[in-house]
Amino acid sequence: MPPLCQVLSCLFSAVYKDRHFSCEDCDGTVSGGFDATSSQIVLCQNNIHQQSHMNRVVTHELIHAFDHCRAHVDWFNNFKHLACSEIRAANLSGDCSFHNEVSRFNFGLKKHHQECVRGRALRSILAVRKVSREEAEKVVDEVFDTCFNDHAPFGRIPHDKKDAKFAYRDFENRDRGSKVDVYAGYMMPVKRISRLKGGDAPLLFAMWTYNY
Amino acid sequence: MADSGAMWRPPRTCDDYWSEFRHCKSLWNRFHNYYAHGTSPSCGQWKEDYYSCREWEKNPGPETKDALQQSERNREAEQRKFTPVWDLRRDPPRDWHMPLHQGKPPDSQS
Repeated sequence: MPPLCQVLSCLFSAVYKDRHFSCEDCDGTVSGGFDATSSQIVLCQNNIHQQSHMNRVVTHELIHAFDHCRAHVDWFNNFKHLACSEIRAANLSGDCSFHNEVSRFNFGLKKHHQECVRGRALRSILAVRKVSREEAEKVVDEVFDTCFNDHAPFGRIPHDKKDAKFAYRDFENRDRGSKVDVYAGYMMPVKRISRLKGGDAPLLFAMWTYNY
Repeated sequence: MADSGAMWRPPRTCDDYWSEFRHCKSLWNRFHNYYAHGTSPSCGQWKEDYYSCREWEKNPGPETKDALQQSERNREAEQRKFTPVWDLRRDPPRDWHMPLHQGKPPDSQS
């Protein structure tokens, strides 16, 4: 199956609220997680208190789910795979937006986004795996360039709603002008959601926005 | 795939090229690019593609078509100029929609 079809399969694999999301009480300050054994996103209901935070956590975990869907990610035995998905999730979810960093009193400008992504990926790895900080830093360094520049399914780093809108426009126009034979599948993206709603409506996979 | 000159359309509408150019040059995008990459964004190709697109509308020809296709391929190549750390699947995981095993403890990553 050509690469385009692989990514499309994941993009159109419906994500069902009742099957792929679970709201639970969690220890500590963890906001959420992705359970690869059940293909389920866990949202920590006792640690998420704002809609904007919820949006960001959902996006972050959906990126893990997308990676699990499109690739043979060895979450438990291959630290490079884990690090890569964490880098991507921190990079593409809005975790490291200027606004969010300033609210954490992390003031930086030139390439600060990358510093934030490194730091948050490291933190996530240390939170879920028994590994030394030095080892985790080494793995993050090894895969950083590759994974920071992997913007699937967006085709760009979605810094704001306009980026998201343009990414989705690319997706809507994917069949235009023989683009199928020009693209091989990474300019794919997302449909904007504003809230997770009640009911059984399936959610199109790879949904993103933040800062509603 | 059928690809006659009469049926072919540019990969994006001309308005899309122009709006990408305007977005690229915007203050916010320049700020975001500096924040993420430490540089100013390069926007000239969007403008060039816009003019090629308009040229295609007025006077369809192989050079214009090739220019637009090549530009899109270059964008695609930019997105893929890294070696993935993992192997891609052919299909989504088989258990993606399978019912959950009730009571099985999760092992999560955050």
